[in-house]
Amino acid sequence: MTSRFPLADNRSRLWLGLILPALALAALVAHLATVHAQPADQLTVYSAQTSYSVPLLDVKGQPYAGLVDVLEPLGSIDARPDGKKYKLKFTAPGGRAVEAQFNEGKDKSKLLGQNYKLPADFVLQNDRGYVPLSSVAEILNKLLAKPVQLHPAARRLFVGEVPIRFSLELDKSNPPKLVVSFPSQVNPTIATQPGRVRFTFRREPVVSSGQDTTNFDDPVITGAVFAEHDGLAELDVMGTAPLMASFADSGKTIIITPVPPPPPAPPPPTPEPQAPAQTQAPQPKPPSGPRFLVLIDPAHGGADSGASITASLVEKDVVLALARRVQRELASRGIVAGMLRNSDVAIALDQRAASVNAARPALYITLHAANTGRGVHVFTSLLPAANLSRDGFLPWDTAQAAFLDLSGVAAGSVAAELESRKLPNTTLVAPLRPMNNIAAPAIAVEIAPPDDNVDNIASAEYQEQVAQSIAAGIAAVRSKLPEVRP
Amino acid sequence: MTLPQPEPPETKAPGAPRYILVMFAVLAIVAIGLGFYALHLKRKVARDAQAAAEQQLMAPPVNGPPEPVILYIANDSDGTLRKTQLNVALPAERSERARAVLRTLLAQYLKPPSPHPVGPASDVRAVYLLSEDTAVVDTNSAFADAHPSGVLAEELTVASLVLTLNANDSKIARVKILINGQERETLAGHADLKRFYEAGTIGAVVKDMQ
Repeated sequence: MTSRFPLADNRSRLWLGLILPALALAALVAHLATVHAQPADQLTVYSAQTSYSVPLLDVKGQPYAGLVDVLEPLGSIDARPDGKKYKLKFTAPGGRAVEAQFNEGKDKSKLLGQNYKLPADFVLQNDRGYVPLSSVAEILNKLLAKPVQLHPAARRLFVGEVPIRFSLELDKSNPPKLVVSFPSQVNPTIATQPGRVRFTFRREPVVSSGQDTTNFDDPVITGAVFAEHDGLAELDVMGTAPLMASFADSGKTIIITPVPPPPPAPPPPTPEPQAPAQTQAPQPKPPSGPRFLVLIDPAHGGADSGASITASLVEKDVVLALARRVQRELASRGIVAGMLRNSDVAIALDQRAASVNAARPALYITLHAANTGRGVHVFTSLLPAANLSRDGFLPWDTAQAAFLDLSGVAAGSVAAELESRKLPNTTLVAPLRPMNNIAAPAIAVEIAPPDDNVDNIASAEYQEQVAQSIAAGIAAVRSKLPEVRP
Repeated sequence: MTLPQPEPPETKAPGAPRYILVMFAVLAIVAIGLGFYALHLKRKVARDAQAAAEQQLMAPPVNGPPEPVILYIANDSDGTLRKTQLNVALPAERSERARAVLRTLLAQYLKPPSPHPVGPASDVRAVYLLSEDTAVVDTNSAFADAHPSGVLAEELTVASLVLTLNANDSKIARVKILINGQERETLAGHADLKRFYEAGTIGAVVKDMQ
């Protein structure tokens, strides 16, 4: 049959033959780019033990959370892919082991032996299992046997009865005073703007007490607005005058008042002196007592993966898991421990040292992992001992020299605990950055595989034993390490 | 009488026009050609890497009679350094001699099975003597980029280089390591390369390792 419109026919064929495949290819590339997208944002998880952030993946426009990322700080987890399946065994502290199984590309899964349908397909990426964010609360609820609440839009997850609700009480005396009461201590960052003071809660599970907006019948403090977004909560207090905030009741109460006006200019001298106006002198803040803080530094992070332990296991992940265990073990011994990073973020070496020195910890411990050698290596800094005063300024390059004796005490104690648990260990000095720049007792712990099977470096049992040794070693020398006034 | 039959209308054979077919043919030829070229490049890269590795395994250039060279060989399995001696021909000039000694050391690590593997094609580009007792060792990029990462593994490498230099030239007491002529923060994420290493301090550390 002859075409009546040969040109149009050729164009159609050209369209079908070239442009359509090109479009299909572009669509495929776009699809792959969506599936393998970089972490879009973060989820903040609040539990009784700790608060932490986990990165979220954007899969076809839907946020997904990594199961290991979410569960690891809450107990012992052993998760590994088995072909298309992803098997997970989780043990909460003091609880029994529970199991779950997911299937790559499928929404069917099993939690504690029972069928469970995910709202979207399970994703396996780089041997890590990801579930839709909307299912995380229900999965955790079943695995932990605890109430779990998710505020999906705000990217906040509350494990257990942890939400902190606050109350607002306005005292309309002159000047007015707004009292914000919390059931436990809070430590928000405070920002003031003309007519507004904002409290940002990043680590505290502060939630709304019922109504997000409160209006006060007061000409100076006019209202308060609570909001949560991007893994944090904010409380704004508005006023018609500049406002200031002060803490009371050991950090459980915040008092907001108008900034007092500047003192009046001194009156011109008069023959009869007048009594000076009574001004409320600012009360000096009582000095807080010294505290024993351990700072844990899981090495590497972000683009810096550290050593490749196996094809699918990198140092930055191994040490973050170990750091969380050490933090838990220290907490169980009554020792407050902070983490320099609690998610997959990059921190420069100098920045690590500067952050540690600003925090003035009683002990700094950096964690590393390697696939060479066996057991655990405990290091102190390779510096010649120097008789430096710890109270004055210290040279940046050799700040650690003033603390070498205490660092040695801590390293020896940790090594003794490793020995008592029959874990192969070596105590050495090493030229490890940024140890030399740390102005506090400092040790490094490098874990290597316990046996010939390199995969066992990430085994829950091995890591737990190492974490217990580190925590017990630190607890044993607590009295010898100086408590520091913040 | 039969009427003349009208000629059937001229029809075109179904299928793509000729210029589309020509274009596809050209594209197919180009794609096949590129495939072969990519394969050729891949093989060339592999050959070059192998040649570089083999070059490293060779002993340093022979410029004289063999002399005893002391090497501190690292062992990853037990985290120790072992002192060994080899007979190698060495150049007379002091910095060239130091370089030849370190290349002999790296050759030991590049030989499989190695007790302390370093990256393939690792090499010492030059050794500079800043003063009587201070040496700067300039290694190539492969030495750092492909070095196994780990606190102990990197410390053993540094200690091995410093002590080997000191053992063969006792005047060299301070050593700094550069990568491709540049100062780098760490060797492979751990060992500090911004500092000078004192042979005496390293010697004491190694004693503890034994």
